[in-house]
Amino acid sequence: METIKWMATNIFGEPAVLLGFIVLLGLVLQKKTINQTMSGTFKAIIGFLIIGVGAGVIVDALLIFQPMWAEVFNLEQEELGSFLGQGEFNAKYGSAITLAMTLGFLINVLLARFTRFKFIYLTGHMMFWTTTIFAGIIIHEVGHVSFGKLVVFLSIFMGVYWTIQPALTQPFMRRITGNDNIALGHTSASVALLGALAGKYLGNKDNDSEKIKLPKKLEFLRDSNVITALTMGVLFLVGALIVSGKGTPGAEELIASSGDKNFFVYAIIQSFQFAAGIAVVLMGVRMFIGEIVPAFNGIATKLVPGAKPALDCPVVFPYAPNAVILGFLGSFFGALLWLVVIGNTVGYIFVPTMIVLFFHSATAGVFGNVTGGVRGALIGGFITSTVVAWGQFVMVKGLLASTVPDTAMWAADSDMFILGPIIKVLAQLFL
Amino acid sequence: MKILCVCGLGQGTSLILRMNVETVLRELGVEADVENTDVSAASSENTDYIVTSNELAESLTSSSAKIIIVNNYFDNNEIKSALSEHLS
Repeated sequence: METIKWMATNIFGEPAVLLGFIVLLGLVLQKKTINQTMSGTFKAIIGFLIIGVGAGVIVDALLIFQPMWAEVFNLEQEELGSFLGQGEFNAKYGSAITLAMTLGFLINVLLARFTRFKFIYLTGHMMFWTTTIFAGIIIHEVGHVSFGKLVVFLSIFMGVYWTIQPALTQPFMRRITGNDNIALGHTSASVALLGALAGKYLGNKDNDSEKIKLPKKLEFLRDSNVITALTMGVLFLVGALIVSGKGTPGAEELIASSGDKNFFVYAIIQSFQFAAGIAVVLMGVRMFIGEIVPAFNGIATKLVPGAKPALDCPVVFPYAPNAVILGFLGSFFGALLWLVVIGNTVGYIFVPTMIVLFFHSATAGVFGNVTGGVRGALIGGFITSTVVAWGQFVMVKGLLASTVPDTAMWAADSDMFILGPIIKVLAQLFL
Repeated sequence: MKILCVCGLGQGTSLILRMNVETVLRELGVEADVENTDVSAASSENTDYIVTSNELAESLTSSSAKIIIVNNYFDNNEIKSALSEHLS
């Protein structure tokens, strides 16, 4: 009994350690060298701990972004409220999330083995974020849930989602890639499907995006760090400009918060800070996903003959590079529009994080183009920003306000917004 | 020998590329440390080779590493011919 309790607290209660063990097991099963096993296990543990550090940096920048735009729209100074935040949430529920992610993957492999959906979901970082966000919804909606129940519920839901989602997008993937070898395994599936449908009815297939020549100068859009800092920089700067011209007490207070520094320089630094935080989190995720996914893949290919890998969304980008940029332009326009509309109507400050918007709208752009050409790609992008903007509002204010709204502001995705309410209902029924 | 596989975000796609590069290296009987990362981090990393797509290669010209271009990350034959051309 004492041993079980000790294990529960020190191994299952400590997500970094649990993750280390899962990676260790995967590497041993693959008969890796001691060298690779050591470095893989250590990197997995360090990577997990880095996520909390980066999340703190992002929140610090958001704590300036929010009041700044609240002042722009004359909203009541609204606190983010009290919530756990990514760091504390990981410490409390990270083990359940890690375990649910692993078991969910095994369910995916079993479903692929025994049903006609032969898809193995391999986009590991999205596996982690999706499970985290869904856990956040469950804890917010039903309060404390026992470790076992949370793991069972989440792993079944995730396993089914990871099997069915690639199957839903596969008909269009076949048209995009021209073969049936790879599938899409990404949380942008819902906007990709919406983009393809909208393209079919509103677009014009003959006007293929790949017939036009786009300037080489837009290539920097592919660097996620640059694009995040750039767009947040523009928004921080515009916010600072408006605020500095207002002269209200709230505006004065904001300007004073920059201390000795010039207010504009201070605002620009915040946007870089935000991008830096995201880079740190992604480095952490990369450190453990890079070890766990090859292990997953090794297991899956042995168990499931004829399995198709469901992969991260950039796999479709080379098939229509122009549609990628068009999708992004459509969503950038939409993001600015929704920032103003949502700010002025429901009074929520939308955080248009370009990582989410770029990757999702680019995918929706490629799907929109295959059915509706240039117009389809642009509409696909616009749909993405619409789902993300309103989805973020519903998610942050409602579905996980007390757990990880900080994460939802930059890492929550199209599919999570569509599935969130379903998770809520199911959690209330079963947990 | 160190090889970096690079994509825009440094998460999913570059990881798949890394797995395929590792497979090909095994077939070629070449020993190497293979890592994956994003394009901004890649240009400051000390590495012997960078494997990436045509578009991203343009932002990596400042790197001292040799750049190996692979356009289809899932075509192990393309990866194989690109790698054996540069490594030999």
